[in-house]
Amino acid sequence: MTQNVAVIATDRLTKRYGERVVVDELTVEVPEGSVVGFIGPNGAGKTTTMAMLLGLVRPTAGDATVLDEPVRNPARYLHRVGALLEGPALWPGLTGAENLRAMARLAGHDESRIPEILDIVGLSDRADDRFRGYSLGMKQRLGVAAALLGDPELLVLDEPTNGLDPVGITEMRALIGRIAAEERTVLVSSHLLGELEQVCDWLIIIDQGKLIYAGDSAGFGTGTADTIMLAPLDPGHLTVLADVVTTEGLEPRPDGDGLLVTVEGRKPRELAAELNYAALMSGIVLAELEVRRPTLESSYLSILEGENA
Amino acid sequence: MIRTFRAELVKFTRPRTVAVTLLLALVVGVSGAALVMGNASPVAEAGDADYATTVEGLAEAGGGTELFRRTASFAGSLVFVLFVGVFAVEYSRGTYRTMLLRQPHRLRLLAGKLLAPLAFAAGVLAFTAIVFWTSGLVIAPGYDISTDAWVSADGLLAGLGDYGMILIWMTGYAVFGMTVAMLLKSVPLALAVGVAWAMPFEHILYGPWPTAQQVFPGLLLEAVAEGGRPEVTAGVAAISSIGYMVLFMTVAGLVFQRRDVTA
Repeated sequence: MTQNVAVIATDRLTKRYGERVVVDELTVEVPEGSVVGFIGPNGAGKTTTMAMLLGLVRPTAGDATVLDEPVRNPARYLHRVGALLEGPALWPGLTGAENLRAMARLAGHDESRIPEILDIVGLSDRADDRFRGYSLGMKQRLGVAAALLGDPELLVLDEPTNGLDPVGITEMRALIGRIAAEERTVLVSSHLLGELEQVCDWLIIIDQGKLIYAGDSAGFGTGTADTIMLAPLDPGHLTVLADVVTTEGLEPRPDGDGLLVTVEGRKPRELAAELNYAALMSGIVLAELEVRRPTLESSYLSILEGENA
Repeated sequence: MIRTFRAELVKFTRPRTVAVTLLLALVVGVSGAALVMGNASPVAEAGDADYATTVEGLAEAGGGTELFRRTASFAGSLVFVLFVGVFAVEYSRGTYRTMLLRQPHRLRLLAGKLLAPLAFAAGVLAFTAIVFWTSGLVIAPGYDISTDAWVSADGLLAGLGDYGMILIWMTGYAVFGMTVAMLLKSVPLALAVGVAWAMPFEHILYGPWPTAQQVFPGLLLEAVAEGGRPEVTAGVAAISSIGYMVLFMTVAGLVFQRRDVTA
């Protein structure tokens, strides 16, 4: 990841439909070479933001650049961008290969790359089948193939796992991983946070059109504390275990057959060891002891709760 | 525009599409020629000999392609429906979004998208005209229609003139269909509004107000296809129709240029 040049930069980018503000003064930067997770609840403004970046929707106010070109002139940069927005919209009566041929001709891309691209997305053996006969997962992969035709520097994927079954999601995640490994910038929106967590190194989070977070994914959730879950082998020892935890200066809260403790100002592993030892000294054998790191999903939900409080 | 044109041709040049279209053109050509010839009357029995199909008229140099022109004039609504489908269905499928991500020059996209089916249709019309002419040549003796003048320089010129008029007629309905589709973005809505306007509405007005023939686009296009009508000559109808086409294309272009593409 290079991360020295902003591939996408927005400056108070705004879209209003009448009185409704869909994107509200959004100011973010996307570093070159990063895989960016674009996160937000349904209706947060993700697709509208992407549509503005791709020249499909005119901003009401503010400005943005993509690959150093203004979004008000998409013809200057779209040949360097591949995109799949709001699902794969292709021609049902054409085969997979014919759809790609039409796309390649439209964009002025090299048609000879079509077999290679079909191979990348794993559709070589279904290239001559009509699009209407494809499963949803295959349609999504063909949409990604169409986005890859011009060997783009920037790839924009809007909810590429939408509607896919677990196998399809795994395949799509692997595909995004392969694409991202090729030194290009990828902006991918999804509300399947667990999926994004595994492939993204940069996050942009919006809610109700407003920016909540933009930055390194490793830095996201640093404000959310780790927790320790501990459960006695004998459920009857739960009350005694709570007393032991309290004696250590902590505030336990029930979590099923065990207790949950928030770690603040101390090293989680050392604290877990101390609690294990204290429980043992009190005659309690622990059946479970686990340090829980904040996930993208838990941090995200925590931040959204804070925003909406 | 060339890129869009070439991309659109992928849809029209599929072997099955080409085969079905040519077969249809063959059937229409043969049966149409027989129908027009079968319904032609001698001048003495025809109501308005200048505009009706007469045995004497079909025996003239342009008789071979007049068969085709007369039949085509009934297919205006079909051309309109086809072009509404070509343009409006891209909204319902979300494929304008897909296309604009590859061709952000919207006017070029729209122009290429209009020209490709027009070029395909022009080819199909030429094939159909030849089928009509050939079928007419074979069938004519059965109706006592002489075809000697068909095979002459005048016959060729008349044929090209008829083909040109049919191209204007077809382009007019195509542009009308495109404009209604771009304005309404919905196949059923565009069909309802377009067909209601150009077919019943204009014809209802034409009854009490014959000047409507010189004013309304649907009636003007019908006059172009039929080689003129009592109220307007084919030439004036063609020029007026081209004026309407320029107006419609401007409206469609402006709308598409300014619209957010969210579907």
